[in-house]
Amino acid sequence: MARTRSTKAAPAPKKASTDSKSASSKFALAPQSENPSKLFILPSKAASDARIVTLPNPRHSRPARYLVCPETGIYEFTKVAAPKTTPRSWLIETTPASTGADTEKDDTQLKAETSTGQELYLATAIDPLFLSLPALAEIKTSKGSGEQKRMFLTSDDHFEKLPEESSHLSEILRCPKTRALIEARMGAICDTVEAGDETMFRLNEKTLVGVILDKAKKMSKGGFPLSMDEKFVKKALEAPILVQKREMKGGELVTGPPDTDSQVSTPQIESTESQSTVASTETTASSVSQPSTAATSFSEGQVTTDSIVSAMEASPEIVQLQRLRVAFNFICSNYVAPTLAAQLQELLATSSTDFSPLDEYHSKLSKLRADAVTSRSTGDYSRKHDRDEEEDEARAEKKRKLEEEKKKKASESRGVRELKKVNTKGMKKMSDFFKKK
Amino acid sequence: MSQPILSLKTNDETPKAVANILPCRIHHNGPIDPISAYWKPTTADDGTKFAYFRGRKLQGKVIRLPDQCRGVVVERKKDEEPLADVVDLVEEGDDPPERVGSMQVTAEFDEMVVWEHENMNDSTGDPYIRSMEEWLQVADQIHSYQQDDDATQK
Repeated sequence: MARTRSTKAAPAPKKASTDSKSASSKFALAPQSENPSKLFILPSKAASDARIVTLPNPRHSRPARYLVCPETGIYEFTKVAAPKTTPRSWLIETTPASTGADTEKDDTQLKAETSTGQELYLATAIDPLFLSLPALAEIKTSKGSGEQKRMFLTSDDHFEKLPEESSHLSEILRCPKTRALIEARMGAICDTVEAGDETMFRLNEKTLVGVILDKAKKMSKGGFPLSMDEKFVKKALEAPILVQKREMKGGELVTGPPDTDSQVSTPQIESTESQSTVASTETTASSVSQPSTAATSFSEGQVTTDSIVSAMEASPEIVQLQRLRVAFNFICSNYVAPTLAAQLQELLATSSTDFSPLDEYHSKLSKLRADAVTSRSTGDYSRKHDRDEEEDEARAEKKRKLEEEKKKKASESRGVRELKKVNTKGMKKMSDFFKKK
Repeated sequence: MSQPILSLKTNDETPKAVANILPCRIHHNGPIDPISAYWKPTTADDGTKFAYFRGRKLQGKVIRLPDQCRGVVVERKKDEEPLADVVDLVEEGDDPPERVGSMQVTAEFDEMVVWEHENMNDSTGDPYIRSMEEWLQVADQIHSYQQDDDATQK
């Protein structure tokens, strides 16, 4: 019976805890394939003669895999995978191309296979200029000489400086189109000189900064993806939150003086919580603490509302500048070698884009944050109902000890317990009987 | 050991596939036919997929690949002799011939289903959803150079 077989045979390796070798049930499972299937997402415009090659990564110069298509360019692979702690596996259902969409009835047509690995390889375009950067910037790192000393060299001389170990650069350069592409992109960041029929290149850092800044602008203009915006823009610009308590008495609104009644807290910068959750915990914390601090003047009819006031608001242009900076740093930290990236940062400061409003904002912000930290530690009594992790731990410890004691008591024998209760007051001490009379 | 150059080989007729990422680890690589008895995903009206797998309820979110992408399932083939055209080129140079391997495209897919236990997955946290919705867009913005370059060259 096919039905029982399928249910029996497959589950054995299905369970995460079961070893695949234990599939020694009487139902045969198709043997493991030697080379597990991998999933790639490729750009559809890449031609069929695209090759997967190894090239030195521009950031750390170690070999990495790239997809090189002679027609459309070079693509880098990004490995997407959930963290190791999250078990994930692929189940690939395949419907042969010949059959229609009606797979329900035609079960035999539906094939499936699994892959233990959870990786998904995503090929996205990479600007070839990044790949050539280590070669172009080489001289400075090796000799430590100034910009003037950098020589005009042919592209081949530049490429020779890239690490050759397990690099397929020379292979892909055999393709004239790929070569032309890389050289064209090199030209975008270099000063070039025509020498005979060859073009000589020399890296121009100022142009490079301009090119990267343009990329950063493009990136920030298009709007950041949500998670990136949340973490690097909103969090970084978030000012400490002031919670003002307002008590509604009848119709009139009484706002407590902000310096005594408001509490200042620092936003959790590193946590993944969004601002809204920070705000909400803040609200609950203060409303819980409300009865203890203002209990005397409290009656049933009062309604307490908390308004959350951010100490500082970032203006749109500051947000935009922050985005630009994050984008620039992101590109540098992914595609530019650390030493060169540091130089670029210096050059960025002198570039046309003025970051000073953002810097001002940041210095103001850090001051506010420092203030918030100090005021928080002094005004901590008002937060005693706030559930701190440490407090929770201490409480749990206490509880555990209490319980242990209880258990100990419970395990005592009845005789001992009852004897404890005997009131010995007024009774003679035992030693009294042995005294000389 | 250095990795060889890999070429992607596509047959004329590539089956269509659906890539499911399950919230569990399966210690098996390879075919598991027939699966119809224990894998019957159903689709709700709002596009959410449901399936019961080993007694557990799973919910899946369908992610369609953007138009500029195609998903492929590939399998590594055994290394062959260097391709003829590569050999020709190598004779001109002095380098030893580079090993050339190939990956066989066994299936293509244009949608992925990210499965999660019970609750609907949170698209901000899931690396698969994020990679599709966010990284593709960002990478395009960083590295898009060609369009403007081609325009200036032409």
